[in-house]
Amino acid sequence: MIKIENLYKSFGELEVLKGIDEHIKEGEVVAVIGPSGSGKSTFLRCINLLEKPTKGKISIDGEEITNEKININGIREKVGMVFQHFNLFPHKNVLENLTLAPIKVRKMTKEDAEKLAFELLGKVGLKEKAYEYPNKLSGGQKQRIAIARALAMKPEIILFDEPTSALDPEMVKEVLDVIKELAIEGLTMMVVTHEMGFAREVATRLFFMDEGKILEQGDPKKIFDNPKEERTKEFFSKIL
Amino acid sequence: MERMGFLEIFLGDKRYMYILKGLGFSLEVTIISALIGLFLGIVMALLKISHCYPFRKLAKKGYIKLAKFNPLSGLAVIYIDLIRGTPAVVQLMILANVVFVGALRDIPILLVAGLAFGLNSGAYVAEIIRAGIEGLDKGQMEAARSLGLTYPLAMIQIIIPQAIKNILPTLVSEFIILLKETSIVGFIGGVDLLRSANIITSQTYRGVEPLLTVGVIYLILTGIFTYFMRIVERRMKASD
Repeated sequence: MIKIENLYKSFGELEVLKGIDEHIKEGEVVAVIGPSGSGKSTFLRCINLLEKPTKGKISIDGEEITNEKININGIREKVGMVFQHFNLFPHKNVLENLTLAPIKVRKMTKEDAEKLAFELLGKVGLKEKAYEYPNKLSGGQKQRIAIARALAMKPEIILFDEPTSALDPEMVKEVLDVIKELAIEGLTMMVVTHEMGFAREVATRLFFMDEGKILEQGDPKKIFDNPKEERTKEFFSKIL
Repeated sequence: MERMGFLEIFLGDKRYMYILKGLGFSLEVTIISALIGLFLGIVMALLKISHCYPFRKLAKKGYIKLAKFNPLSGLAVIYIDLIRGTPAVVQLMILANVVFVGALRDIPILLVAGLAFGLNSGAYVAEIIRAGIEGLDKGQMEAARSLGLTYPLAMIQIIIPQAIKNILPTLVSEFIILLKETSIVGFIGGVDLLRSANIITSQTYRGVEPLLTVGVIYLILTGIFTYFMRIVERRMKASD
């Protein structure tokens, strides 16, 4: 589904991604872990072109998105994104946050978009907040709304960029539960995370990144129980 | 000669008409230049933050400086620096005595002054708007784009509404500054509020009362705008 070949990304002199080759299949839940500065977020952001790769190819469904001539907005309709800091639109209420893109981009009617929005709000358990503004919500609620907003575009894959890192500890679970449910339903996703328990339990595959490369990848349980690389062992010994 | 009474200064020979006409002229210049300034300001702000790099393909051939050259932004920067780097009086006099001469001599002072102050105000408004847009969280644009919204659509739906809300108080105060600044229009022969005081002085040999009166009128005008600005600010806070 997503094919990444020889991906490089530099910010000026600083080389952040140093050659990534991966293939992510439909229905996979990929957890990306690694020390800070290892390029996890940049890797994720390259996949919907929030960062433009310096070198290499990324294809989604056989369509090469790193091609200059591609319609970037069409790609982004297929690839949803959930951010660390939620990035809800503060001047729009929850319902408008969810319906904006379906109406403006997918050209849905307002009725259809609102029907879908209420369905998704039900799914994340926040139907009663439809007419609230984001500033009236807790962090956990905001992130669940952000997930519903991404889902409203019916993406084929959702990228989660540290979805629980900005949350108070007691709100982490409610967000992870929503993501877990999506995983069970078979939605393809990539999750950059520091929640090792989540990575171990929910992910079907684990990427361990260090210094701009995927150092080790495979079945999460195997890697957690028996890491092959020295660097992975060292990382686990520091955090587990 | 008997000392002239306060009322006589203004009522005799209907001298108050100078004040009224001057007031009308000041307000007209302010409104014309505010409209020009707002229009120019929006255009220049958008140019300055634009991502127009016509030579970016040359980067691969090693012309890094040329590849990073943005002609639209460059134009806006030159305009803004030129205007902000010279006194308004100088700009006004150059426009009236250097530009609007010869065939353009018969253009009314009102328009020349409106254009001069509009050009001047545009530079400040551009910086206000740019700061308002750049002051927004970068995540807002990213969230909008990641939902598949095009750049113009994201600007219209997400960025500009939030930016306007943030800069409205500053824009109103720029308008107040503009109103006061028009008092230099006498330099090119415009008969505004301040000039009308001079005329009354020359007819009555009384310098203090006309000037104080004009000062009080300016104070009342700016007071009205400040009052409205406070109401707007309070409303905005309420919706935050």
